[in-house]
Amino acid sequence: MMAPFFKYGLFGDEFSLIVAFVTGVGMGFFLERAGFGNARLLAAQFYFRDLRVLKVMFTAIVTAMVGLYVLGGFGLMDLSLIYLTPTFLAPQIVGGIILGIGFIIGGYCPGTSCVSAVTGRIDGMVYVAGMIGGLLGFAEVYPSIERFARSTGMGKITLPQLFDVPYGLLVFAVVLMALGAFVAAEWAEKKLGGKVPAAGSLLEPTLRVTPVRAFAVSLVALGAFAAIGGSPYRSPVGKVDVRELALEAGTKTDHVSAPDLADWIIEGRNDFILVDVREAKDFAEYHIPGAINVPLASLSGDFADRNERIVFYSDGGIHAAQAWLLLRSLGYRGVYLLFGGLEEWKDSVLFPTAPAAAASASEQIAFAKRAAVSKYFGGAVQGASASPGPAVPTAPKLTPAVPTDAPASPPPAAAKKKKKEGC
Amino acid sequence: MTDSTVPPPSPKPHMNPYWAGFGLGLVLLASYVVMGRGLGASGAFTTGVATAVHAIAPAHAEANAFYQEYLGDGTSSPLKDWLVFEVLGVFAGGFLSGVLGNRLKFTIEKGPRIGIVARLLMAAVGGALMGIGAKLALGCTSGQALTGGAALNVGSWAFMMCVFGGAYGLAWFLRRAWL
Repeated sequence: MMAPFFKYGLFGDEFSLIVAFVTGVGMGFFLERAGFGNARLLAAQFYFRDLRVLKVMFTAIVTAMVGLYVLGGFGLMDLSLIYLTPTFLAPQIVGGIILGIGFIIGGYCPGTSCVSAVTGRIDGMVYVAGMIGGLLGFAEVYPSIERFARSTGMGKITLPQLFDVPYGLLVFAVVLMALGAFVAAEWAEKKLGGKVPAAGSLLEPTLRVTPVRAFAVSLVALGAFAAIGGSPYRSPVGKVDVRELALEAGTKTDHVSAPDLADWIIEGRNDFILVDVREAKDFAEYHIPGAINVPLASLSGDFADRNERIVFYSDGGIHAAQAWLLLRSLGYRGVYLLFGGLEEWKDSVLFPTAPAAAASASEQIAFAKRAAVSKYFGGAVQGASASPGPAVPTAPKLTPAVPTDAPASPPPAAAKKKKKEGC
Repeated sequence: MTDSTVPPPSPKPHMNPYWAGFGLGLVLLASYVVMGRGLGASGAFTTGVATAVHAIAPAHAEANAFYQEYLGDGTSSPLKDWLVFEVLGVFAGGFLSGVLGNRLKFTIEKGPRIGIVARLLMAAVGGALMGIGAKLALGCTSGQALTGGAALNVGSWAFMMCVFGGAYGLAWFLRRAWL
């Protein structure tokens, strides 16, 4: 099993919308169950009368955080594939304060206002209308505040990376902090809100092991396990299943021929990453259009996600094959090799040799296509009689630029613009 | 002696907050495992707003980078979006839970010392501020605090602290509205 399922292509966009609806039903159900359709109950959080907001939120965060840790730690899920909203510190601090002020004035947040409105709360409906007005206003002034909204960018960064502490240790710290906050919250409810700790609370006066207490203890136990367990992200130390890889290498299913690659590029296919593993100076001299340069010596998985299709090439093919093995050992599935490397690319795509004059008509037609492809990539046809020797004698100097006079085929399409994944 | 009008069943008590949180956390975890992404709410409304503006004034929407982010590349309807379908589910799930808990009721949730007009005005103003804050922060309590919180995202935690800070900071001045 390899999660996240969607990122590994187990189902498509259409089915993901069904997943979205079902996920939303679960979210709305538990928000309403928790009493979050009621603004008074939500606002009670800020007067220490009923600290449900804190309890629900942090229990949910801790549950999901520990769950992610366990799944990642046991290798069932690749955490590097989950969407992480990039951090823009200043706008997020200001936005958080504005949102907090909106929360205490309006009594809801966006998610809770939905369940409030749908259960008949008129204030919830008015709140949703107000939110739509706020979004419209924000969008209209966005051009003038864009600079601030995109300032202090820190990229996709997690707390363990920022503070340089082991991931698992931070998981444990958050679990302990949450439980401390729950106990403090129940104490505050009793002291300031005059609420007697009820059954199902951590501080209920009995000494029994209640389900809630058992839940708390198991979270602490998992947190303690995390504290010594290290990082749930995959490390750069790879693992190889020799039999599986040997079988795969033997069947040659991982090969891409030079003419096929040429067709993909001309078609504008963008479902693969073409990677040149030669030195930077060789890359600067010539590379296949659309390729990126990742010299073998500096190869790590950083340039692509594990669910992406990668085609490696080098001069002959040895370095590309080594890169193939390295990435396969890191758990990348869709890794391919340009068969014969750049040499084959030159021989069969850039400088194809014309067939002898006596060749059949079908050979002549096939060659015409190859000649067009060659022209597309800025190459030239070699005469049949011109290359009797073993080496390529007079290959013209190559230019790295893509020629613009594409023949029958359209130019490579720009990478499809993805819709944003965040909130 | 029978009464012809049956009184509506009284609302059931709310769920224990820890178990509700556990349930919500499992929903979030499942979303991560299946989709590789977490929950959200405000983004769906933004997509709705962007689509409506684009329908009314296409040139205006296309000139604005913010609307553009929510309109996609035009190959399919922007409303065929993950968050839009998720929020439709939130409405459905909230309704379902409301039915099961006998909590469906046309009413206004407010403190005893505030009038109806004032309460609704506050709801509108609070909603508007929430919309602005959520877009500045790249997410709301669901998309940032909950989702990013579980992934130990730096911005999400900074955001979460500021939400509580902002709300607690102003709570005392607004006590007449809620208590």
